[in-house]
Amino acid sequence: MPGIRWGVHEEACISVLLFGPAARAAGCNRIEVRVPEGSTCAQVREALIEAHPGLGKLVGVGRLAVNHAFCSEDRVIEASDEVALITMVSGG
Amino acid sequence: MSVCVRLIEGPVGGDPCPCCPGDGDGLDASGHGACLRFDGVVRPLEDGRALAGLRYEAYEPMATNQLRLLAQQVLEEYGLLWICCVHSTGFVGVGECSLRVEIGSRHRAEGLRAMGAFIDRLKRDVPIWKSPVWAGPSSADG
Repeated sequence: MPGIRWGVHEEACISVLLFGPAARAAGCNRIEVRVPEGSTCAQVREALIEAHPGLGKLVGVGRLAVNHAFCSEDRVIEASDEVALITMVSGG
Repeated sequence: MSVCVRLIEGPVGGDPCPCCPGDGDGLDASGHGACLRFDGVVRPLEDGRALAGLRYEAYEPMATNQLRLLAQQVLEEYGLLWICCVHSTGFVGVGECSLRVEIGSRHRAEGLRAMGAFIDRLKRDVPIWKSPVWAGPSSADG
């Protein structure tokens, strides 16, 4: 039927900004991950670890921020969101 | 009651914050009995090794948002009259100031408690990272 795609999940490309130790570990300041549309923060976190296993520990202890604010693990991420990995900070 | 937060490139200078009534004409009108200023200064040694300074990296839009959010929370929680925070980005040399917090309160007790609380929260929730720049002929970062 037109308009219905049974069993097909659209993918979203999520760009995740990296800073400080995470950027140094990954060798770049941005990583793109592909996740099913409607994925949560927790799913983006898992996709990050899969895409860059070397980041695993930092992703595990870090927090994700969406549109410049920390978010909960069940927050749904849209492709238009600005997502950042905030590892342990050290300002002051 | 007022909140003022800023990120600046390089060290925090000695000029008073233009937003704070602490040193200005608004002093008497503010009703404060305590005016506190904290300067965080780059130490000369890190784990016994000589530093040239520290390099600060910030996720600037979020860092500014978080500083404003934390400052507003602390202002309300401790009943402050004002709070101002300036944090450096980029390179800050040994002995220079990388963080200044100014607080005005009616009494010293809540001002002192608020200062500690604000800095603790800043070090936990504001996306700023520092890395050492070592002193000496091969002063490469890291």
